Amino acid sequence: MTRAFRFAANHYLALPVGALAALAWANSRPESYFTFAHRLSFAVNDIAMVFFFALVTEEIIEATVPGGALHTWRRAALPVVGAVGGILGSAIVYLAYLRTGDESSVLGRGWPIPTATDIAFGYFIARSICGRHPAIPFFLLMGIAGDALGVVIVELLYPIASGHTVAGTLLLAAAIGLAIAFRRYRVRNVWSYVVICGALSWWGLFLSGLHPALALVPIMPFLTHARRERQLFADVPLRARDGLSQFDRTWKYPVQVVLLLFALVNAGVVIRGFGTGTWAVAIAALAGKPLGVLAAVALAVASGLHLPHRVGWRELVVIAFTSSVGFTFALFFATAAIPLGPILVEAKLGALLTVCGAGTAMAAAAALRVGRFAR
Amino acid sequence: MRVTVRAFLAALLVVAAGVPHARVQDPTAPRPDAVRFAVIGDNGTGDRYEYEVAQQMIALHRRSPFDMVLMLGDNIYGRQDPRNFVQKFVEPYRPLLDAGVRFYASLGNHDDQRNRLYGPFNMGGERYYTFARQNVRFFVLDSDYLDAKQVAWIDEALANAREDWKICYFHHPLYSDGRRHGSQVDLRVVLEPLFIKHGVNVVFSGHDHIYERLKPQRGIHYFICGASGQLRKGDLRRSEMTAAAFDEDQSFMLVEVAGADLFFRAISRTGRIVDSGVVHKEPRP
Repeated sequence: MTRAFRFAANHYLALPVGALAALAWANSRPESYFTFAHRLSFAVNDIAMVFFFALVTEEIIEATVPGGALHTWRRAALPVVGAVGGILGSAIVYLAYLRTGDESSVLGRGWPIPTATDIAFGYFIARSICGRHPAIPFFLLMGIAGDALGVVIVELLYPIASGHTVAGTLLLAAAIGLAIAFRRYRVRNVWSYVVICGALSWWGLFLSGLHPALALVPIMPFLTHARRERQLFADVPLRARDGLSQFDRTWKYPVQVVLLLFALVNAGVVIRGFGTGTWAVAIAALAGKPLGVLAAVALAVASGLHLPHRVGWRELVVIAFTSSVGFTFALFFATAAIPLGPILVEAKLGALLTVCGAGTAMAAAAALRVGRFAR
Repeated sequence: MRVTVRAFLAALLVVAAGVPHARVQDPTAPRPDAVRFAVIGDNGTGDRYEYEVAQQMIALHRRSPFDMVLMLGDNIYGRQDPRNFVQKFVEPYRPLLDAGVRFYASLGNHDDQRNRLYGPFNMGGERYYTFARQNVRFFVLDSDYLDAKQVAWIDEALANAREDWKICYFHHPLYSDGRRHGSQVDLRVVLEPLFIKHGVNVVFSGHDHIYERLKPQRGIHYFICGASGQLRKGDLRRSEMTAAAFDEDQSFMLVEVAGADLFFRAISRTGRIVDSGVVHKEPRP
């Protein structure tokens, strides 16, 4: 079993399994499915997902601190440009597609959905194609940068509620201040950060109208961390006792249950609910995003930036297509940007269709003889 | 003798005037003190079918006036500039507008959300709102985006309503036998418990381009009237929920609420009554 497939088995099977179960359930017993999904949506999307985003943040911190796979940030310049290009490309295609019909008013707010990249799914696809090629860190940095920008965009454009911004900001500041104090006094117990700072941060975000699932994102950088060399998505060393390692070991498997529930609650859509929003999201992700990535990188290279060592345009094309898979993050962006209703269903179907990006990436790799297709 | 005959005839007239009218009155004749309104959905095409449905409404209004029209969404299709508002709304319904008939719109997926600001739609600038006529309160929802704020609003508005009749309308149907879209179960699991809790009597929706009356679902009467301009011929897939349906031509509804009864008629583009009946409001337990 290759490392990529071992990664999929350990980290990623919960999502497709949950999504398929949700689709089958929603289309066979819609009443019971939507009752279940409605009752669990707050607990899963706003509370349990805190630990998924914390784990993603932990992976990013591990990778970007000295010794990490993605250190230093100078290496990030071109992937960040690619991420911005991907966002612009998908947004332009999404909005242009809507202009061909008369639903741009209700669907317009969905433009951040196709900007999403499912980093874990994409990593699995990219590793399956390219192995240990330097294109992989490029893809990861681009995905991380794009999703970080996407989260900021969604949070700023579509706050959940409003009215308690000052109280929320104060609570958030208190949470971060406490985390700084814990770090300063070398508090090693990870639960102090998670329970006390996390709860304060959750309330702060909730009151501010921002998505509370991001509650641990500003807290994670303050967990203690030991300097080590570690690849992204690799297992933490068993003997590591620092806060980030403790957190990873504790939450790695529970988060798989969270992802299973997330897919169960959010991926269930009635298939005939497709509409303009479905095609807009799918086309923007599968065509607009890769085009945007490639155009932005081409402009940056023309302006003097250099492609990473051993990464050529053929690999970039494959990576650009891989980045079009939005799946988990696209579903998350959809639920954050669009309230309950048929418009959300259309958008979610589009988010699910972005998994076709795996096929286009494979086809591009085969056509360009990249990675495993080079032989 | 002449005087006696005259007195007899006069007495006969007086007696005759006092006798209640026979039951065979004109079915379109308005009942006194009733709340009368028309219902249209998915109408704003601007094509001849919309105009022909509007002509039937205008003819009906001349015979038995109604003072308002509920719009179930997709009020304007395609481009939504001022010229389109004239072609797809003002012109077809001009005689009704001139007669003072008020239109109360809900928003559909083809409507620009800014249309809530269009004066003749009487939405007061809101996506969701409520208004009342005599003993009937109407609740208008935006089913495009059923956010938590709107759910909290409808819960409170229904709880505060003191009228005998509670009628909700919005674009996407909670129950439908339309083949293209069908029931919006994700909306139903959120809204229906509130409708049951607060005793909603009747719900009107559009979106599926057919007319359908459903058998009462958990005590609530659901109608789909989504073919007042658009039409999806043969789209109906009858099920055990179907009470009556019509998908052969465009249609609209005329409704009259009188006391504890709600009389309804579905009328085709050619003026044929394709469904009619009475919803009797059961006293609350």
